[in-house]
Amino acid sequence: MRNIWTVYKREIRQYFVSPIAYLVMFAVLLLIGLNFNTDLQDRANFEPADGTVVLSTFAFLMVFFAPLLTMRLFAEETREGTLELMLTMPIRDHELVIGKFLGAWAFYSIMLAVTLVYQGILLALTNFDASPAPLQSELDLGPIIGGYIGIWLFSGATIAIGMFFSAMTENQIIAGFLSMAVLFILWVGDLAGLLPASIVSTRVAEALRVISLQSHYSTSFLEGVVRPEDVYFYAGVMFIMLFVTTRLIESRRWR
Amino acid sequence: MIEVQNLVKKYGDFTALHGISFKAKAGEILGFLGPNGAGKTTTMRILTGFMPPTSGVAKVAGHDIFDESLAAREKIGYLPETVPLYPDMTVQGYLEFMAELRHVPNRKKRTQEVLALVGMEHRAKSLIRSISKGMRQRVGLAQSLIHNPPVLILDEPTIGLDPAQVADLRSFIRDLRTQHTVMFSTHILSEAEQICDRVVIINRGQIVAQGAPRELRSKLNLGSRIYVEARGRADQKALVNTLSKVQGVKFAEPYQNGVVVNVKDNKDVRPALAAAVIENGLELLELRPVAITLEEIFLEVTTALGAEEDA
Repeated sequence: MRNIWTVYKREIRQYFVSPIAYLVMFAVLLLIGLNFNTDLQDRANFEPADGTVVLSTFAFLMVFFAPLLTMRLFAEETREGTLELMLTMPIRDHELVIGKFLGAWAFYSIMLAVTLVYQGILLALTNFDASPAPLQSELDLGPIIGGYIGIWLFSGATIAIGMFFSAMTENQIIAGFLSMAVLFILWVGDLAGLLPASIVSTRVAEALRVISLQSHYSTSFLEGVVRPEDVYFYAGVMFIMLFVTTRLIESRRWR
Repeated sequence: MIEVQNLVKKYGDFTALHGISFKAKAGEILGFLGPNGAGKTTTMRILTGFMPPTSGVAKVAGHDIFDESLAAREKIGYLPETVPLYPDMTVQGYLEFMAELRHVPNRKKRTQEVLALVGMEHRAKSLIRSISKGMRQRVGLAQSLIHNPPVLILDEPTIGLDPAQVADLRSFIRDLRTQHTVMFSTHILSEAEQICDRVVIINRGQIVAQGAPRELRSKLNLGSRIYVEARGRADQKALVNTLSKVQGVKFAEPYQNGVVVNVKDNKDVRPALAAAVIENGLELLELRPVAITLEEIFLEVTTALGAEEDA
């Protein structure tokens, strides 16, 4: 536990001194903000406000931005030679892996938490008549609360996948590209059913949907429904990825 | 403190270590000597628990490095060949992180202590990316000392340093001996001769010789050598001829302005040499023993081994 905490602390601190972390946070928040603004304009005096727009945008952006922050986790340490030292420290391999994972996840959680600002804006707009652009009806909090839980779990899964690829290679670019590609496929797998059955048979489409990262939040958490199976899915992805990453790190010792 | 028995390491088809055995007692400085690719780093990586051996036993401070890996790792301070530093951290932040990983009590105080030890207090707040190579080496060394380990394993610690820094580091390593068992690798032979209590010479994954530097010299029966310089009507060649005939001399050869005489079986032939010079009507200018360097011992044993293998 203590070792995990030590590794975690360094990792999260590392994000706050690295320019790429700030760039990613800047880009993500900017894009979410733009999308939020457009959506709000479209809905004003027309449709009820929807707090989940922020979340679905965040999830989509994670597919592309998560790899930018996870690619360095192990690749950089391998290249700098610090991994050799870490593996001779009196800590277990899984403690190193979990500590790093939690550090990256914490950074994303902070980023996700910042988007609560938009929910605050929506609450203000729907509850105060004096606001300049009053929205019709009240804000539905169910999907927002469910959504935050779901997207938080989803981001954990994407980070675990990104970290796995970072442990596979010492080249950060390759790690980032591979995890981006895999995340994208897992994310759009949901939509395979839309293709004609002649291209993708329904059975394959169904299988892709089941393992898709998107399908486990879009029809449940973002509707305000917390289904155990979705929680298990994301927890399972994290567990398996952390396990395989630990094994990958261990296997370095045998090379 | 360090005990290695029949260590074998294979990378696929390539055998990096062919069953090596050696020991280091507490408070000893063990020099691990060999050309590049001899298996020095492999041995050190096994000892530090970075990777397991294919077969054989390695114990550090009584703990088996494989079965009681964490306990053994706690007893070791390790400085790998590429100094493992995080460029984005400050010197102090890095050392405190290492102290925390090593479960050092009173981390801040200990960090200041090791910083003082390696003479880096004035750069404690600097980012590691901004300090020089020599300073990085010192920070790496500080890292390996942070938990005051009984065993220190340093992989080519003097590589890439300027001569003054090398001299500094060598005396630093010598001073460590009172409290630590130090094992360090090098391919600079005079370095091992200067600092080590014992030397293990390794080549192609096999130990070719081990012992105290002095012991190694006599074991290999290289005899001793004396440098003679004289002035007079005879030239260097004549002097070589004269000195070769002195009893107990193996052979003589010209060297700089004088002659180097190789002596059989460590006999003291100095009076006879002096007499021979004077009998020939020459003025004796200089007569001094020449130390046989590890370079020569090393060449001797490795070429002998190579010849055996080729035969």
